[in-house]
Amino acid sequence: MLTAIFRESGARAAGLSLLAGVICWILVPYVSWLTVWPTAWTLPTTQWIGGGVGWFLELMKPTGRGLAYLLEFPMDWTRLTLVNTPWPMTIGLVTALGWYIGGWRLSALGAVGLAFVLASGYWNESMSTLSLVAISVPLALVIGGAIGLLANEYPRFKGPVQSVLDVMQTIPTFAYLTPLLVLFGFGPVVGLIASAIYAAPPMARNVILGLERVDPEVREAAIMSGGTRTQQLFQVEIPTASQQIMVGVNQCLMAALSMVIIAAVIGGFNDIGWEVLLTMRKAQFGQALLAGLVIVVFAVVIDRMSGALAQQRQQHDKRVVWGLIVLGIVASLLTWGQLPNVSDYAFFDPSAEYVDRSLGAFTAANGAALDGIKNGAMFYMLLPLRIGLDDAVLTFTWGFDWTAGMTLGLFAVAFAVGLLLAWRGHVVGGILTVVAVGILHTGVSQLPWPFVMVGIGAVAWVSGGRRLSIICVAMLVMILLSDLWERSLLSLYLCGAAVFACAVLGALTGLLCAVSPLAWRIVQPICDMLQTIPLFVFLIPVLMFFQIGEFSAFLAIIAYAIVPMVRYTRHGLTTTPEDLIEAAVSSGATGPQIMREVRIPFAAPTILLGLNQTILYAFAMLVIAALIGTTGLGQSIYLALGKADVGLGLAAGAAMAMLAMIADRLVQGFADEQRKALGLNG
Amino acid sequence: MKKTLVGAAMLATMGAAQAADLGDVNAPIKLAINEWTGQHVSTHIAGEMLKKAGYKVEYTTAGYMNMYQAMADGDLHGAMEIWSSNVSEQYGKMKDAGQVEELSDLGLAAREGIAYPAHVEAMCPGLPAWEALKACSAKFATAETLPMGRLVDYPADWGTPGADRMKGLELPFKAVPAGSEGALVTEIRAATEKKSPLLVTFWQPHWAMSKFDMKFVALPAGEAACYEDASWGPNPNATSDCDFLPSRIFKAGWPGIKDKWPAAYEILKNYRISTEQQQPLMGMVDVDGKKVEDVVAGWMAANEGVWKPIVDAATK
Repeated sequence: MLTAIFRESGARAAGLSLLAGVICWILVPYVSWLTVWPTAWTLPTTQWIGGGVGWFLELMKPTGRGLAYLLEFPMDWTRLTLVNTPWPMTIGLVTALGWYIGGWRLSALGAVGLAFVLASGYWNESMSTLSLVAISVPLALVIGGAIGLLANEYPRFKGPVQSVLDVMQTIPTFAYLTPLLVLFGFGPVVGLIASAIYAAPPMARNVILGLERVDPEVREAAIMSGGTRTQQLFQVEIPTASQQIMVGVNQCLMAALSMVIIAAVIGGFNDIGWEVLLTMRKAQFGQALLAGLVIVVFAVVIDRMSGALAQQRQQHDKRVVWGLIVLGIVASLLTWGQLPNVSDYAFFDPSAEYVDRSLGAFTAANGAALDGIKNGAMFYMLLPLRIGLDDAVLTFTWGFDWTAGMTLGLFAVAFAVGLLLAWRGHVVGGILTVVAVGILHTGVSQLPWPFVMVGIGAVAWVSGGRRLSIICVAMLVMILLSDLWERSLLSLYLCGAAVFACAVLGALTGLLCAVSPLAWRIVQPICDMLQTIPLFVFLIPVLMFFQIGEFSAFLAIIAYAIVPMVRYTRHGLTTTPEDLIEAAVSSGATGPQIMREVRIPFAAPTILLGLNQTILYAFAMLVIAALIGTTGLGQSIYLALGKADVGLGLAAGAAMAMLAMIADRLVQGFADEQRKALGLNG
Repeated sequence: MKKTLVGAAMLATMGAAQAADLGDVNAPIKLAINEWTGQHVSTHIAGEMLKKAGYKVEYTTAGYMNMYQAMADGDLHGAMEIWSSNVSEQYGKMKDAGQVEELSDLGLAAREGIAYPAHVEAMCPGLPAWEALKACSAKFATAETLPMGRLVDYPADWGTPGADRMKGLELPFKAVPAGSEGALVTEIRAATEKKSPLLVTFWQPHWAMSKFDMKFVALPAGEAACYEDASWGPNPNATSDCDFLPSRIFKAGWPGIKDKWPAAYEILKNYRISTEQQQPLMGMVDVDGKKVEDVVAGWMAANEGVWKPIVDAATK
């Protein structure tokens, strides 16, 4: 079906890419600047950015410092309150809140969750973290809400606002940490602001979506009853959209929590993220995992409670709420001054040490097998993809050397397959086969830039028309001129390989979870954990098993980016409308047939949305992967951080955001087409 | 015996110190706590000395790489353990601009080098002599570096000293940047557990050196000339064909300390700690799992003769 829609433009775009590829192929041996853009032709963009931003920062510094000063008060108060409240009181209140929102289930979750935190010995650190979240989330809600309302009231801002939100979410925080430090000074406030910047977009998006979906009849009723615009908005439209807006609040909380580790990188107060960093530095996996799990527990408690707020809920007995609160107060009074120091609880230290030792023992026992896995993946997959078959196939990798004859043979086969496909009506498929073989032979990191531009421009044309094509090519030109091309290709290669693996593995896992509720019950908590635990924690075992290098980075990216693919695939497959399935059943389709003919096509837009999120997650993870020792844009961002080079940091961050946005727009374009083809809207 | 010697050394350096005003004792002096244990020990001892002199001290966690802006702004007042081997470029710039002030050397004898876990000696006979690496580089090869051996180098933002050395000495090793200290330590731990070959750029004092029984490769002695004059050293055509120059470990602070807290300035400037003093304290924290505060309190009680003269000279 897909090919049928794009037959015309698709074939043209594929043909154009092939032509560009062939021309580059012929010229590359003679024209060196096709693969390596000469430094002399680059613009000093990083210096310009550095200079411009430096000037702007100096101008804004007094305002920034003033704001930071003001924000410090509520944060200190919250923190002092939280740290000094006796823990029986805090646990009592949270349990009561859980009951109020969601009955005994949430109340038990709150009690067990906080008991875990208490027993881990990280109570004080957690309360510091919580105070940061407690201030950054309202800030993010206000900013996000304001942006959302602005876009809603002035529709012509909607386009630019979407782009701004994309940039806020995709540019890595490490890229603008240095300017934030200059602007707001040192301390937890910087982490607070960084997390507010990252957490505001989901709120804004959901406000926009919620207000868009307000029933036109409801709107008209408000207009007819003579309310002013403000009255219409605040008394009718926002209450109507409240459920969607609560989804935004939930997403905002989760995003803010996922950023607490950034606050720790700057330092300034003793929070749970700092513990993760300290243990990570010592390569203590068990202890790092314990500290990371504390963050997961908070995330799960906050997610379930705020998630329940977003749904219609029944009333629970208020007397239980008061009972729990009174219980907390009484327990606090009875134990006043007698409780041991919360930092001395360390019930899980033996388990943490056990986990740590087991990791060591496992590595020792399976060293050879692990090396085998790594070498296999590197030799037969990652290396050819990066530097091409002609360079990767050598005696000590594949057992023989690549020859010109093999190149000839490979392309002969590719052309034969391509022609066969074209003969049978799949013109696009045929051409793409040849292009794909060409890419594999050359290697992603050595692709000539004109080919990349033409190829991406052509795909963008098919996906979203002329405008998208121009935007994509313009972004690529900016990257090329900023002397970030080679690093970008390296990042693109690593992300591309990881996204491909995520798409295959994630879709299969999602499919399994869609047909088997048991599988989903096992996979869901794993997904929750992968999304909220600071990923630094997993760098330790990955490094122990597979050492520093691309394969470890590849695995780390997959661990994080596979989650949306699994979730969206399952969601898409399980939400096929009943009438469609019934129709299929009544026409005599078997289970596998329904899956293939009805559920998968229907789920395609949702799955594509999952793919899109996977791409964005993979780019986000590049920066963390650079801690393992990858080259590419992530490393540039760390280099810039170390040198306090504002220009390089922002330029590399912007390049990363641009690549992510190009990938995002391309996939969204195809998803829209598919949705239209299915007769769905929105 | 050693203790008295160190004490005497401290007394000697203190000759120049003069009794000074305490200054604003109500405002807390904020000392940076960075990401490693040795630094915690050095900083807590300095902080306790300031407390004995009558100051309020706050220990503030701070990222090592980006704390200098905070120091220039007066949000942080002192950093007790800065390593010249991986200090960020920002520090140099800010020091030249007078925004941060270098106080003095801390006294730790640091050494950087190309290191390996002891079990590697059996795999590559001839170690620790550097020439042995020429013959057995293939044993260190991995998928990323074939056919060359693999050297795990410092994270890219600390520079590439390992790569420079391999090039200078024409050793068939390819340097792979580690990305973070955690990655370096994990590599060492994994190699020790697996008994696999490993060559890594590393330094001491570091707890991992003793915990994993690490040894340094004996390189041609490092001299300044080696880095400027290509003809120096075993390779007549290259610089960097020798061992690391000893790296400095020093203290730095906010330039306003000497006016706001004159006596504290004297104390911080004269404070010294040796590798022999710091190492056992680090062990108590990292290996025995004790708290830095308790370990340092114990040391302060047992070594009054070492720190008290410095405090007294600044305050009396």
